[in-house]
Amino acid sequence: MSPTRRSALRRGLALSLAAALSLAAPLVAGGTASAQEAWPQKPIRVIVPFKPGGRTDVVARLLGKVIEEKGLLPHPLVIVNMDGGGGAIAGRAALDADDGHTVLHWHHQMLIANAMGLIDFGPDAFTSIGFTGGGSPVWAVRADSGYETLADVVDKLKEEPGSLVEAIGIGSIPHFVGALLAKEAGFETRKVQANSGADRLKMIAGGNADIALFAASEYLNAKDVAGGLDAVVFFGPNRIDNIPDVPTAKELGYDVTWANPNWWLAPADMPAEHAAILAEALKTAMEDPSIQEYFAENALDAYWTPGDEAQAESEALLEDLKEIAAEIR
Amino acid sequence: MLDAYVALIAPWPLLYLAIGTALGIVIGSIPGLTASMLIALTLPLTFQMDATNAMTLLIGEYVGGISGGLIAATLLRMPGTPASIMTTFDAFPMAQRGEGERALGLAVAASFFGGLVSWGFLAVLSPPLARLALTFGPWEYFTLVLMALVMLASLSQGSLLKGLIGACLGMLFAMPGIDPSIGQLRLTFGFNDMTGGLNLLPVLIGTFAVSQIIKDVLTIDVALPRVDVGRGVKVGLGDVRRHGPNALRSAVIGTWVGLLPGIGANIAAMLAYATARQVSREPEKFGTGHEPGVVAAETANNASIGGALIPLITMGIPGSVTEAILIGALIIHNLQPGPLLFATNPEVAYGVIASYLGANLVMVVFMLASIRWIARLMYLPRPYLVSAILMFCVVGAFALNNRFFDVWVMLAFGAIGYFLERAKVPLGPFVIGFVLAPIAEEQFRAALMSSAGDPFTLFTRPFATVFFFVSMATLSWPFITERLRRRRATSHGADRR
Repeated sequence: MSPTRRSALRRGLALSLAAALSLAAPLVAGGTASAQEAWPQKPIRVIVPFKPGGRTDVVARLLGKVIEEKGLLPHPLVIVNMDGGGGAIAGRAALDADDGHTVLHWHHQMLIANAMGLIDFGPDAFTSIGFTGGGSPVWAVRADSGYETLADVVDKLKEEPGSLVEAIGIGSIPHFVGALLAKEAGFETRKVQANSGADRLKMIAGGNADIALFAASEYLNAKDVAGGLDAVVFFGPNRIDNIPDVPTAKELGYDVTWANPNWWLAPADMPAEHAAILAEALKTAMEDPSIQEYFAENALDAYWTPGDEAQAESEALLEDLKEIAAEIR
Repeated sequence: MLDAYVALIAPWPLLYLAIGTALGIVIGSIPGLTASMLIALTLPLTFQMDATNAMTLLIGEYVGGISGGLIAATLLRMPGTPASIMTTFDAFPMAQRGEGERALGLAVAASFFGGLVSWGFLAVLSPPLARLALTFGPWEYFTLVLMALVMLASLSQGSLLKGLIGACLGMLFAMPGIDPSIGQLRLTFGFNDMTGGLNLLPVLIGTFAVSQIIKDVLTIDVALPRVDVGRGVKVGLGDVRRHGPNALRSAVIGTWVGLLPGIGANIAAMLAYATARQVSREPEKFGTGHEPGVVAAETANNASIGGALIPLITMGIPGSVTEAILIGALIIHNLQPGPLLFATNPEVAYGVIASYLGANLVMVVFMLASIRWIARLMYLPRPYLVSAILMFCVVGAFALNNRFFDVWVMLAFGAIGYFLERAKVPLGPFVIGFVLAPIAEEQFRAALMSSAGDPFTLFTRPFATVFFFVSMATLSWPFITERLRRRRATSHGADRR
């Protein structure tokens, strides 16, 4: 964890504590007749389906901080972490909330969880508020593996199918992204499970796996550790400045992108005008220099995608993922 | 590497180290409150802390907690923590004879010495072991975990059968949730809350803290006898010559037992005590207030901590129950304990080693300076203590994921832990089974995936083969000795006829 990220996390936690305290004193805020119609009436609870410290959590906390500092909303965002069950617990908690002030901050793991049948709800259970940027992963091999480009890897795998071991989290993003590329390029790897980024790094460094998927920031932190890593392909739509030499899959002729967004979702029964108020605040907050700096430092892409576009994009992707899931299961 | 020691000499780490160790000693000294309980309860408080500070605090509590147990063991014949059971054998008779100060002094000095020796092993062995462990693949990890489970089940108190029952039950409770190898739900019985499985922290707090509270509440009216602590401790330089060899041997035994995955401080103390008696010229004096007995037990139980930290930071495998919680602490801070910790987060890996040394120093100073006052804390009114702890349990379980389900899990495991102990099923294997089952399962299935389903590739890996045969030998040892004993008995009978 970088120092900025850590201090941001701590600030964010202090903030949510302050927000929790203000929750206890609703009479202080509002009270006039006109304020009754305004939204939000109280702090907005943002459920994050992961434990504190990961990207989804930090982005939510940083945006919450900007929104509060700039007064973009009359009440702060309170980040609530609910880890576990591939997001099923957090998603269900957001859907079951009936206070009109609960939203969910997740990413495209929801689509995968839906495609794998882990959750009994899909994107249509929510109102999509929008994407606040996102990030893409790389495929990396050991630095001394002798494979320098994706073409080397693909050639080897086409010559001898299943001759290279790919470390994946079964039924999670690395599994699906690898499967998308394998399907497009027509090769086959042998798969070994390694359910966290740290596990995958251990497998690669110890020579027990040949290929693994890493978030771009994970790759940047680990590429010089214990034998070193070499990224052969980047799954983003365009190259990024942090790893300028790594080509995208598209450049290499494979129509595969995985740009996992930070996705803000509200339960479907939240009035559209309320979702729009939050969307406006998030969109403005995204332009803040502190946000732009965090995204750049962590090899992420800072952009804003409005809710309806985000929804359409995600539903189209879900169809592709369902096809892959049918093969995986 | 020196940086880690220098980094420790800063206000925050020093403060956390002092608070952790002092708290550990106090909690450890109160019969009925244990180091594992304290660590499980303070873990939620460390979520917001820097990873190094969090580990500093928890390791301080660990060392303090194991050491603090010696006070009640000496004065009241009640092991403050399970690790000091062996200390009661000789320290209490000494205290009865009016040599309480001497017994406490020896025990504190022995604890410190054990800590220092095992710190030496920890500092020297960890980096090369981490490099070796990096080459370990799924088969090695699977067989290592297997070995840990089998050793724990067979060496914990009571019968092998009950140990195995405990371990299997623990493993069973680790099953619900998402199957790691096919990404599908299993054993959730259709409850959405079960999709995340049963979380480590609520299970630990329940099994260790809540079950203990149940026990404490049932005996809440039992008053502890009052004893006079006297002027504190009595120990001198002459003891180095008198007890040196015994202490060194016990420290090495303690470190070695700690190093073996799965077994902890109480077994270390037991083995060192038994060895000291075996090699002694006056074995009959053990158990009657014999100084070497105190030295052996207290050196070994503290030394086992340093030993147990070795597999923890180099392989990510808990050397004892308490370490299972420490692993949880690292994971919560997004750090994967294991061979890469030295490469990716050297400040944490070396920080753990440095904190261990620091905690031992703080422990000895704090104990020597204030043992008289700590001894009075044993008499804190139970009802207040127990209710405050129960409140911390609930807050701690809820804080993990902000949901009440975890609190129910914790309370349920409090009851389960209580009844398991009533049935003489040891809790150690139960909890370690719960912690290790997911690792064993993931590694076993990963190994089969990489060998395309062939289990015999295990024997192509030398380390894995050794670990496998050690586990099998440990498992069958009781049956073999039983057979031998019976055969010898019958042949003796035949001779006589």
